[in-house]
Parts: sequence; C-alpha cells; structure tokens
Amino acid sequence: MTEVMERTLASLPMFMKGELGGPFGVSRGFQTLIKAIGESQSKHEEERIMKKEVSYLQQKLTQPDISNKHMKELLVRLVYCNMLGHDITFGYIHALKLAQQGGLVEKRVGYLAVSLFLHEDHELIMLLINTIQKDLKSTNILHVCMGLTAVCALISTEMIPALLPMVEDKLQHPKEVVRKKAIMALHRFYLKAPNMVQHIHEKFRKVLCDRDPGVMGASLNIFYDLIKEDVEKHRDLTNTFACIMKQVIGGKLTNDFTYHSVPAPWIQVQLLRILGMLGAGHKKNSEQMYAVLDETLDKSEINHNIGYAVLYECVRTVTAIHPNPALLEKAAERIGRFLRSHSNNLRYLGITALTSMLPVLPGVAGEHQLVVIECLDDPDETLQRKTLDLLYRMTGPTNVTVICDRLISHLSTTADTYLQSDLVTKITQLAERYPS
Amino acid sequence: MLKFILLVNKQGQTRLAQYYEHPEHDRVSVERDIIRKCLAREDNQCSFLEYKNFKLVYRRYASLYFIVGVDHTENELAILELIHNIVETYDKYFDKVCELDIMFNLDKAYMILEEMVMNGRIVEMNQNRILLPIRVMDQATQ
Repeated sequence: MTEVMERTLASLPMFMKGELGGPFGVSRGFQTLIKAIGESQSKHEEERIMKKEVSYLQQKLTQPDISNKHMKELLVRLVYCNMLGHDITFGYIHALKLAQQGGLVEKRVGYLAVSLFLHEDHELIMLLINTIQKDLKSTNILHVCMGLTAVCALISTEMIPALLPMVEDKLQHPKEVVRKKAIMALHRFYLKAPNMVQHIHEKFRKVLCDRDPGVMGASLNIFYDLIKEDVEKHRDLTNTFACIMKQVIGGKLTNDFTYHSVPAPWIQVQLLRILGMLGAGHKKNSEQMYAVLDETLDKSEINHNIGYAVLYECVRTVTAIHPNPALLEKAAERIGRFLRSHSNNLRYLGITALTSMLPVLPGVAGEHQLVVIECLDDPDETLQRKTLDLLYRMTGPTNVTVICDRLISHLSTTADTYLQSDLVTKITQLAERYPS
Repeated sequence: MLKFILLVNKQGQTRLAQYYEHPEHDRVSVERDIIRKCLAREDNQCSFLEYKNFKLVYRRYASLYFIVGVDHTENELAILELIHNIVETYDKYFDKVCELDIMFNLDKAYMILEEMVMNGRIVEMNQNRILLPIRVMDQATQ
C-alpha cells in the first residue's frame, strides 16, 4: 500500500464525520467496509471482505422498517459489491423502491443504483415507468432531471410510447438543464427505435438553434447519428453547422464554456465530425465550410492538448471532404507540428492523420520521412503499430522491398498475436500486388 | 461513442465502473485484463491502446488510473482531455480529490459522471453546469 494511502487512512476520522466530500455522515458499518477495502493487500482478501459484506447486506435487507436514509447507505454498499463482481440480485427491488419512495437525495441514489444494477432488458425496469412519469410531471426541477437521466440509462423500447410525449414536452422547458437532458432522452429513444421519433425531427432542428449553447451542444449528438444514418436528408443544414462553428471559434460563448483557453472544444470536435460527414464527396457542401475550417486551422491553440485535439479533428475533416489544395497544404503543415513533438500521443495522432491524408495528398508522407522512421523505431508498441500501418499504405513499386523488409522484421520481434496476424495479412497482400 | 469509464488504483482495485453498453458476461475478467495492460505501460508511452475491437484511452493521476473504452470514431486526444476535465470537476467538488474521496462518496462520483456523459456520448463539459444539480441537491438537503 502506498505511503499516500497510509497517510490518508490515518486522517480517516475526518472522513467519518463527513467533513470532507459531503454533508452526510456515514455509519460505522460503511466506515469499516471502506477501511477494509482500502487496506486489503490482495484480490483474494478483497473477495473475502466483499463476500462477508454481501451476506451481511442480504440478511440486513430482510429486516422491516429500514429508514430511507439507512437504505440509501445500504444501496451504496450494494453498488460496491456489484461493482466488484458480486451477485446482489436480492437488492434490486430495494433500489427500485427507494427511487419510488425516497426524498430528494435518496431518490437520486435509488435511481443511480437501479441504473447500475439493471440493464434495459431486465423485467424489473417496467416497474419504474410510473415513478419516472411522476417525476417528469413534478414541479421540482431536480425530480424532472433525475427522471430524464434515468430514461437515458434504462429505457427499453416497450417503455418509449409511455414516456415520449412527456419527454418531448420538456424540450420547451424554461430551464436549459431540463431541455438538455430531454434531448439526450430523445437521443436514447432514437438509438433504440428510430421510427418512433421520426415525427419530431423538426423539433430536433429547433433545438440545434436553441439560445443556450449547452443545449445546442447536446443536440449535436443526435445530429451526428442522424447524419451518419442519412446524410442526404441533412445536407441543407451544412451552412447552419458551419455558422455555429464560426460563432464558437469566434468567442461568442460565455467564458465558462472555455477549457484551457479553447472555447467549447468538445463541441468544436463534434461540429467538425459532422461537417466532415456532410462535406465528404460533395463539392457544394464542402465549399460552404472551407472558410470556417481555414479559420479553425489558423486559430488552434497549440499550448495545450485540447488545442491539438481540435486541430487533429480539423485536419481529419479537411482530409475527408472534397479536396481544397490550399487547405490540404495547411493541414499537412499542421501535421508536421504533431510529428515533431516529443509527446508520443501527438506523434501517434500525427501518424494517424498522415495515413488518412495519403489518398488525397500522396507526397505528404515523403516530406516527413525521417520522423516516420523514428516513430517506427520507438519502443512504444502503439506508435509502432500505427507507423507500420502508414508504411503499408505508402507502399509503391519503388519502395515495396524496403517496406516489406521492415514489416517482416517487426513480425519476428512482436509477441502480440493480433499484430502478428495483421502483419502477415499486410505482407501477403503486398507480395500479391508486387510479385517481383 | 464511449463504452465504459473505469477508475482503478495502482494495485488494480476498481474504484468506479460505469458502463454505457450492456457488458459481456465475463465483465470482471475483461476488466482485469484491461487494467493489467494499462498498469503495465510506462510513463512516456502513448495514452492510447488498441484492445480487441475497440480502443482504450487512459491517464494516471497519483494513485488512480482513469481508463476509458471507446470505439474507433472517437478523437483519442479529446477523450484524454475528457478524463482531465473529469478530474478537474472532481477537484472542484471535493476540493482537491483523492482516492478516499471517491471511495467515501461513490454515489456523488457516479452522479457527476452522469451529468457529463449520457448514452455513451459527451453531453456537458462546462464544470459549473456539471456540478449545479448536485450542489442544488446538497443545499436542499442540509
């Protein structure tokens, strides 16, 4: 056990009183459990502790008149047991009951426990419908939010009709947190049964233009899947997405959406992925986005990982859409920054980006030859694998022998069976393609 | 999409496990294998690993490893920063989070994640907004 662990366990009394982490004190039983788990030296010992805990909880839960407050703690202990792989089927019904009957925080824990214990096909889930419906109708926003969160974790296809109208209604709720969760609940419905939400695609478009950026950001998840499924139906939205991207990178969002100097980076990444799908193989759509992509390439912050993440996604998009030579050249230059970095993560992404660029800019790999060879010789296996893949795709009649030699030498040194079979496939394919 | 988020310590003990897909029957042994592979990595190696037919993105913070399983459509670096945002959010709520905070407040740790990721998709990354429902609930029950 680490020194840090020892020191923190020594200050255990502070945790007991609930002074750190939350306003709720915990029972002696819970303290003992956590201390035991923390101090256990082996998986075997942990097993023993958990088995004891499971039988204690099983026996305890047969007692009548357990207060909601106490039940909440027992459920958290069950969550532990479940997490560590132990059967706690006996506890399911109690989680459901607490979600139904509990006050605010107990209800929340009840819902949490249900979503961790059960999956959507479990027969007990149906018992939750009434509870969720009641919570969706509640005037307490926290209840509504809990209900919507539970919908995302648990809903089965059979339950959709009973809940759809209420969830749809929440798209107009004055609070953005409710609208945001409602759109994710509808996303879940879409994933389970796309035909059931076909009539509300117009409403999704309205959410895309929601005055709140967080709600708009959440709606991008639906649009990503909708466009992936049917890109033609959404081509008319290309300009909308390009405009939203322009507003985001132009600093139109409030400061709390900024993460390490980058405005709403994960929203940017989603937008870029969507733009990539809309522009692929479509000249007109691509033309609508060249300007904003150019601006993104220029504006990308390169003193933090997240800036690189956005840059990488932008390069991916530029590569995927109808080719624009100036943009491609700029993207290729940016890839250079990834490859010259000392971070293996950035070099990995650089190699990946380079690989995806090959079909549109065949000469690009040649410019970065030296770095590519360095990556090949790096002891990091993840990096090696990506570089081998790049090499394979770079093969032409002039370099096939050199590249094959490289692939063969890696085949002889690796012990990873997945990689071995992958290399064998590649070498065989090259041998067939260039028989001499 | 995200398949799961795991928090494990250096001894390979699971501290939090959130799945976004119905996990396979041998979840525990797959978890053990994933944890073993990530813990065996050196500090200067890539934070990304191919595993079976999906990918792992992991990062170590003191005694805790965050391991996220993703499919091939995800931007690995954006996921790495998702992990960092989770840690920063935990730091905000728990006032410099440590492993014991997570252990004693497992329910809160899960609830914070539930605000950030839904349906295996990133939903909310604005730290104030993530914590708002939880803080309101804390205040209402004091």
